[in-house]
Amino acid sequence: MSDIGRILLVEDDPKDVELTMTALEEYNLSNEVVVASDGEEALDYLYFRGKFQRRSGENPAVLLLDLKLPKVDGLEVLEAIKSDEKLRMIPVVVLTSSREERDMVASYKLGVNAYVVKPVDFHEFVNAIKELGVFWAIINEPPPGSVRKK
Amino acid sequence: MPRENPLSWRIPAVVQRYGLAVLSVAIATGVANLLYYFHVQGVEFPIFLLAVAITPWYAGTGPAIVSLVLAALAFNYYFTDPRYSLYVTLAEAPYYVVFILFSLLIAWFSALRRRVELNLLQSRDELQREVAIRTQQASLLNLTHDSIFVRDANGTITYWNRGAEELYGWKADEAVGRRTQDLLKTVFPRPFEEIHEELLRTARWEGELEKKKSDGTDVLVASRWSLERDENGNPVAILESENDISERRRREDEIRGLNLQLGRRSTELEATNKELEAFAYSISHDLRAPLRHMVGYTELLQKNAASVVDDKGRRYMTMILEAAQRMGTLIDDLLAFSRIGRAETRETMVSLEQLVKEAQNEVWQETEGRNVTWKIGPLPDLYGDRSMLKLALVNLISNAIKFTRKCQQPEIEIGCTNKRTDGVVVFIKDNGVGFDMKYVNKLFGVFQRLHRADEFEGTGIGLATVQRIIHRHGGQVWAEGQVGAGATFYLSLPKP
Repeated sequence: MSDIGRILLVEDDPKDVELTMTALEEYNLSNEVVVASDGEEALDYLYFRGKFQRRSGENPAVLLLDLKLPKVDGLEVLEAIKSDEKLRMIPVVVLTSSREERDMVASYKLGVNAYVVKPVDFHEFVNAIKELGVFWAIINEPPPGSVRKK
Repeated sequence: MPRENPLSWRIPAVVQRYGLAVLSVAIATGVANLLYYFHVQGVEFPIFLLAVAITPWYAGTGPAIVSLVLAALAFNYYFTDPRYSLYVTLAEAPYYVVFILFSLLIAWFSALRRRVELNLLQSRDELQREVAIRTQQASLLNLTHDSIFVRDANGTITYWNRGAEELYGWKADEAVGRRTQDLLKTVFPRPFEEIHEELLRTARWEGELEKKKSDGTDVLVASRWSLERDENGNPVAILESENDISERRRREDEIRGLNLQLGRRSTELEATNKELEAFAYSISHDLRAPLRHMVGYTELLQKNAASVVDDKGRRYMTMILEAAQRMGTLIDDLLAFSRIGRAETRETMVSLEQLVKEAQNEVWQETEGRNVTWKIGPLPDLYGDRSMLKLALVNLISNAIKFTRKCQQPEIEIGCTNKRTDGVVVFIKDNGVGFDMKYVNKLFGVFQRLHRADEFEGTGIGLATVQRIIHRHGGQVWAEGQVGAGATFYLSLPKP
């Protein structure tokens, strides 16, 4: 895992992180992933604080955001990003176990770019992650100031 | 009196009156002469006085004067010397003056007396009329069920209607003459002086009073007072009309109590609902994650370690995956079910026919490769939550398709019976495997299944969902079936 990546994965569950990484490996995207294990760390990364004080000055091409996170939860992170002029252009994809309508509605109201429910089925899960990774990190043209494909 | 005389309509009144004057004097003359003939002397004078007195009584002043003149002449002619002449000696003159004065006096008294009597009669008639009217009014007051009574300025009861008898248990003859305060032991909501002051100022008062019945029990009445004054403005009577509101008050208290209870219950319910919601939310997030991990790692194991695991081991892995898959479905179904209870209904006019079509389209895949005969009757429009009703129909139709799977000629009928006036009853009938009526009460329970999983798949949440949806619409669901002969599901929905 490097300090610079096109994908910022905000996920507190190491098993989910591992499975996500496994899925992304197939497209060699796993080394593009920066993991923040809670909301606070995600904001530290985006604002160059704490252990990310010295990272390079580009924004990730996409943020994969879990909703249920310790300390600062996903919706709060999303709100912080979308209300910051410098960060609001970063595409944010909510990646969650929750199928609850209120989470979905709250996310879209805050300006989320996509909302994906993690499928229980592993194949579907792998496919979903792969497609997300490929679309946002490779196919999608990220906003100016984002990490570019090397 | 013309009224007492049957001839009055034939002979003019004036002739009658003067005729009476003449007649009375003539009779007096006759009687006096007759008595004189029988040597009864000295009575002629009172006899003529009698005639003069009778005339004004019945005929008035004019005829009285006529009778006086005639009487004087007749008396002079027949009974003073010289007899049978109208000659009057000087010595007799005072005698006539006395006679005339005396007659006049009697006539005047008579006329006066007559007038008094006439007035009296008139007053009596008026009084009778008044009494008749009052009696009628009083009996009208007796017709009302409201208690009405009148008390004078001292608080003594002067009138007491039947309503008051019924309300307080005192008869009119027991109540009239008693003081209200002694009889009814009224408890006033505020000082009596204030009430009295208001009554004097506005001539009316109303409020709620506590009184005692004759049997000692308390009664709460809504009381309205109105004040009657005499022509000088002094208060003379107070009319109180009242009705018993004890029962009403009791019910109001009861309702207030129930409302309070209801408020508490609904607060509790709200809290429970919140908890449930948090619970469901937690399941949604937390229960699914480990499941996903189980599946994920098992899949990875399958992929990476397939070569080092034998057939038995591979089968175990498959079993783990299947079990996890099923648990995933159960969690999803349970969450969907709990959502129906929590979600707000958005009611609109819904075409049931359209909804059935949409539901059919949704389950179309399940009928693929099978020859299902559909019989869909005319269906009404009704008021309800479109998406919820559709979910109910999808569940029922999907069930019908599932349980006719083993049929040669599967047939599904959807229709509406118009037996009830208060709503519509829709039925979904199939000729599938049916069920034993013994277990009908288990049919709509959560996670209740009447078939083994290897016969018919499912989590047992479908009919529970249907029931919950229909209950939320104020309707009912029930079913009839027979093993091997199909099942019919009914749902009643209230009319808009």
